Amino acid sequence: MEDHWEPKILAFLCNWCSYAGADLAGTSRIQYPPNVRVIRVPCSGRINPLFILKALQSGIDGVLVSGCHPGDCHYLSGNYIGRRKSATLKRFLEYLGFEEGRVQFSWVSAAEGGRFSQVVDEVTQDIKKLGPPRRFVKTSVEFGVRSSE
Amino acid sequence: MKWKLDKKDFKPFLQSLMVEYDLFAPVQLAEGVSVYKKIDRPDEVDLSSSNTQKPTKEVFFPQSETMFRYEKTGNQHQVTSTEEVERKRVILGARPCDIQAVLLIDQVFSGKEYTDVYYVNKRKATTIIGMACDHPLSPCFCSSMKGGPFHREGSDLLLIDLGEAYLVELLTEKGMTFQKNKFFKEALAKEINSAKEIEERATKKTDGSLPVAGIEKRLDQMMESPFWERVQEKCIGCRICTYLCPTCHCFDIVDEALTNKGQRVRNWDSCLSSLYSQETSGHNPRPTNRERTRQRIMHKFNYFPKNFDRIACVGCGRCIIYCPVNFDIRQTIKEIQNSILQNEK
Amino acid sequence: MLSSEFVVRSKHINALNTELKTLNFSRAMIQEKIREKARELLSKKAVDLIIGFGEGSLPLRATPLFIRSLEETDRLIWNSFCENNLSTYLHKLSQFKVGLVVKGCDARSIIALSHEKRFKPDQLFLIGVPCQRMVDRRRVKKAVKGEILRAHEQGDQIIVEGEDFKTILKREDFLYPSCQGCIHRTPIKADVLVGDPVEEFPLIETYHEIEEFEKKSPEERWKFFEKESSRCIRCDACREACPMCYCAECFVDSSNPKWMEKGLSPQDLEFYHIVRAYHQTGRCSGCGACERACPMEIRLTYLTQKLNWDVKELFDFETGIDAETPPPLSTYEIEDKQEFIK
Repeated sequence: MEDHWEPKILAFLCNWCSYAGADLAGTSRIQYPPNVRVIRVPCSGRINPLFILKALQSGIDGVLVSGCHPGDCHYLSGNYIGRRKSATLKRFLEYLGFEEGRVQFSWVSAAEGGRFSQVVDEVTQDIKKLGPPRRFVKTSVEFGVRSSE
Repeated sequence: MKWKLDKKDFKPFLQSLMVEYDLFAPVQLAEGVSVYKKIDRPDEVDLSSSNTQKPTKEVFFPQSETMFRYEKTGNQHQVTSTEEVERKRVILGARPCDIQAVLLIDQVFSGKEYTDVYYVNKRKATTIIGMACDHPLSPCFCSSMKGGPFHREGSDLLLIDLGEAYLVELLTEKGMTFQKNKFFKEALAKEINSAKEIEERATKKTDGSLPVAGIEKRLDQMMESPFWERVQEKCIGCRICTYLCPTCHCFDIVDEALTNKGQRVRNWDSCLSSLYSQETSGHNPRPTNRERTRQRIMHKFNYFPKNFDRIACVGCGRCIIYCPVNFDIRQTIKEIQNSILQNEK
Repeated sequence: MLSSEFVVRSKHINALNTELKTLNFSRAMIQEKIREKARELLSKKAVDLIIGFGEGSLPLRATPLFIRSLEETDRLIWNSFCENNLSTYLHKLSQFKVGLVVKGCDARSIIALSHEKRFKPDQLFLIGVPCQRMVDRRRVKKAVKGEILRAHEQGDQIIVEGEDFKTILKREDFLYPSCQGCIHRTPIKADVLVGDPVEEFPLIETYHEIEEFEKKSPEERWKFFEKESSRCIRCDACREACPMCYCAECFVDSSNPKWMEKGLSPQDLEFYHIVRAYHQTGRCSGCGACERACPMEIRLTYLTQKLNWDVKELFDFETGIDAETPPPLSTYEIEDKQEFIK
């Protein structure tokens, strides 16, 4: 079963830049791995660390958080606030024992369709190398939240 | 006729029990921290501490218990209840205070009107091997609460630590079935005397002087007293006292559900949580810590005695030992009894 | 792995030996000064009440004491068991003028709370005590066989007595983990200091425990966290003891969205501790009240200390050092580090 494992990756994309970039990748017919599921948020600064943790607990294999480049935030400084949260959360998760690379961050602009697909490709390869998550996933013998079986 | 169990036979004795019974005993989770768990190997058992953090009631009334599971596949529903207990059980090493508390909450879970099958089925299937307290701690006040370090009520067997062996008293019909156990030898007279001495010493050590007589009546008249505002000041409103209390028995039932399957779970709850009495309208009849600590004390020393004729406290001392702010119920009891009531002024 | 693996680095304590010699004298003096100040404040009606520490009902314990009259001021004490962070009580006393006894860490919590507008500017009178560090009563208990019936301090010693033993312990061997690396033990913005300021501890040594922990593999680190959090009984004492946890609705109690269930599933216990610690980022004063309150002796400060270290390294921020610098997650710098972002 492991050979056919395809990771499920959750991508939180900010509406104004990264989501638009992803959309551009689509309309440009750029090929990229289908493992990413997108959740659109107004701004990368809106990301609540609980989203990422809940995703990990639910059995998601990887998380990508992507926002506007510094200086380009539609809300002026949302991505700067998000940057501080991301930095502290990433370090904390690794300190706790989560594998490095399970949660990743990027800046992708609305014009960067090609770059979005590149980022997704990289993240997918990283997660494939890490394998399915082996910690923190909530399952029980009879009652599983993760239903990949 | 009294029996004894040599300590060198203790592990083989446990091994033999485990053939027939599921064995629950104190297990050390970290140094100084122990709880009751079902054990797989005799060397998991840890009887070294005076008492566990979580009380014996947990064996009958787990902190988190799945009541039933359901799954829908196609048009079929499948519901699996967990109320049946497959194997007989033995609790080993329960202290007399905790056992006394189990008898107390028996009245709640298998009373005249209601029977809680989850509790009762476990209770019926269980033999209790109590462990007498030869070295009670100074916060122990079981002797003031109709109990004592060697209190025998509720135990099917009672073990008394003599050093090289345990004296074994078979106290009930269930206990008597252990008479033929190959590890039990006849106790010598000097061993029986030694046990008596240990009992006397231990009973003297526990505080039997706490003035609880008449506290129910006194509290009847104190509902609106300014005493409650003062007494709760340092309480931070956590749940340690209620979760570690052997007589507390409140619970909350929740459904954990996915689209097609789920489970109904019973979890311990605490009257000290602000959400405990929160109503969906937004109104909370116990809005501040004052009302909640008042309710806790009233429940233990007034409401429960009214319903069940005894104070809902067995003097185990856990709430005193583990309270982060050293709230001491003994002091509270003394203050209540010494308070000047309106009609006495 | 047991919590005793994280032990004080004695060479740093040796450097503070001169201070320890005067420990007894200064403790008694501090106690008297606290009482004096309390009498002064109450008689001038400068405060409605004073919150300090009183004698505990068990050995090795002190207890929070709320006093409103001059006669009660003699019950105020000061010793190495005054371990609670009293600023946690401020949330339910917003209509009163409060005189508060604070150690270094407690005073930092007050400044953190002032950033979050949790009390009015002139509502508090802080009686600052330069802290000699608090003694870990649980480690003391484990160091002797038998129940401790009496305990008292003498200089740099703790003398504990039981039914058939009397043992002398070196105080510095039994300090709380959070106290071992505490940098600013003198309250920074107290209205009055009741003792001589204490030497500051070098920053780099504070995070020794973090450094050691980070040398372990991710699997080992997770195993440690898993083991610690598995003992959790969801009593929320860590949350209630913490002065920074005061949300009207804690994420734990949120039912929509429901972040976690109410039971003991290991992943929910882990979720709780990860999030509660993370919510302290840039707010935690390192007082250790959470760890001390836990009945199951779960290691908690090793999480919050990491967060404190990171905000220092990333944003040059230390909680509660000055009332001007805003909390790090409420602001930003254009040049914030972002090497981790693709």
